[in-house]
Amino acid sequence: MMIKIEQEDNSLTKGLQQFFKRLLESEEIDALFLPVRLKDSFSIMPSLVTDPAQIEAAVPLSPSFPLNSGRMVSRLSYKESGRKTAVLLRPCEIRAFIELIKLKQGSRQELILIGIDCPKALSLSDYAAYMEKDPLDDDAYIQKVFSANEETLNGFNFSSACNTCENPFPVNTDMNILLQGVDFSDGMIVESGSEAGRNILESLNMSEASMPEKREEIMAQIKEVNSKANEAMVEDITEKTDSILKLNAFFDRCINCYNCRNMCPVCYCKECVFNTDVFYHQPVQYHQWAEKKGLVKLPTDTVFYHLTRLAHISHACVGCGQCSNACPSDINVFEVFKSVAQTTQAAFGYSPGIDENEPPPLSVFNEREFEDIVGIK
Amino acid sequence: METFEPVIVAFVCNWCTYTAADLAGTSRLSYPTNIRLIRVMCTGMVDPQYVIKAFLEGADGVLISGCHPGDCHYINGNYKARRRIKLLKEILPRFGIERDRLRLTWIGASDGIEFAEIMTQLNDQIIEMGPSQTRLNKAI
Repeated sequence: MMIKIEQEDNSLTKGLQQFFKRLLESEEIDALFLPVRLKDSFSIMPSLVTDPAQIEAAVPLSPSFPLNSGRMVSRLSYKESGRKTAVLLRPCEIRAFIELIKLKQGSRQELILIGIDCPKALSLSDYAAYMEKDPLDDDAYIQKVFSANEETLNGFNFSSACNTCENPFPVNTDMNILLQGVDFSDGMIVESGSEAGRNILESLNMSEASMPEKREEIMAQIKEVNSKANEAMVEDITEKTDSILKLNAFFDRCINCYNCRNMCPVCYCKECVFNTDVFYHQPVQYHQWAEKKGLVKLPTDTVFYHLTRLAHISHACVGCGQCSNACPSDINVFEVFKSVAQTTQAAFGYSPGIDENEPPPLSVFNEREFEDIVGIK
Repeated sequence: METFEPVIVAFVCNWCTYTAADLAGTSRLSYPTNIRLIRVMCTGMVDPQYVIKAFLEGADGVLISGCHPGDCHYINGNYKARRRIKLLKEILPRFGIERDRLRLTWIGASDGIEFAEIMTQLNDQIIEMGPSQTRLNKAI
């Protein structure tokens, strides 16, 4: 089922706000989780809203992407709250959340997942700089990203994670807000994706819509452009890090702050091995390393840390790029992860974040598989 | 010319390959001393990071060896190990650590002779490949 969200006062954002307000006022939904512009600030942060009057600060579509909210939705849903919450997420946030469901760190039980066509994002530092200098208003931004499909925003490049994203459209949700290929003069479209989503849309009594004709074609075009950009990026980063020495140089500014791990939505361990005594080396250990090699850089174990994280979670990488965002040393962690994730995901035929019933590849096995890697011939 | 003595780290399971190594010893079979055995309870407990650490510390080869499929004393630890080795064989070559430096074999408790043979062959293969780049660049 599809319904139409009309513009309100000639504004797309206000139209969306109106839709969310109706949703929140309906019997079915107790709370909404979506990006909200904080009071007297340019920061747009994911927020849990229960007062319909607060919806007018909601900014469903913006270049602000401070964190992968999949993690936050996990906090809202890992146990029952007795409340029904509708959550609005970017496609990569949905994928991250679905990965967390598989690890029993979240549940769809009390949620209505609302997907949107991805509105792209600037890196955290670029977003701050963009907001300092004459930013677009919320509607102009939507027009620019969805109608004009422009690649830069007032001279700022969108984050490389967005430009190389091969899945910027939501799947496996309860409803989706469609923007690509939609004629905005006629409003926007919400499509139901599940029985629960359909029931809610029906209860809102809004006018019905039909699938825009050009949508499929535009989606295919975007996927192709991003896929080409991805190929070029992977080729470039592979060349830059194709030996341990080069990898060492790539990560040589790493200060072991572990921000990339903390912001990674699929790095799921409650207690990370890198926080344990295993890496709280004895003083004599450092001296032994120095004596063996003549020099030892501190902190130690930086490349080791990144390689371990690649082994632990690259199969689940959803490509959101928040690891690069989180890096205070400005290392493009994302590009290394994306390039490896592609290989490891292909090796196990695994697509992270699509189906919560598809088990993570390292949690299962088949009796007869990968027999070619056994033996020393 | 200085001969190349590789360092090979082998994670062997308590129940099969370690017992095979023991059997090789009590049968007075010899195998290269370049291979450092680390006994683990099961290949299923070899976290990928053990392998990564071994390579980064300059190992020229890493072997994981456990019970034959179906013989695992913890029912399925070796199947899990196989997936993890598959994973590492995808990741490590991307950063220049050749695929064949990492090996997985199944050697049962009674295969003392086979154990000694495989260790010898593995050592020869690694010698042929030459030192790993992490060993060559000591200050990593």
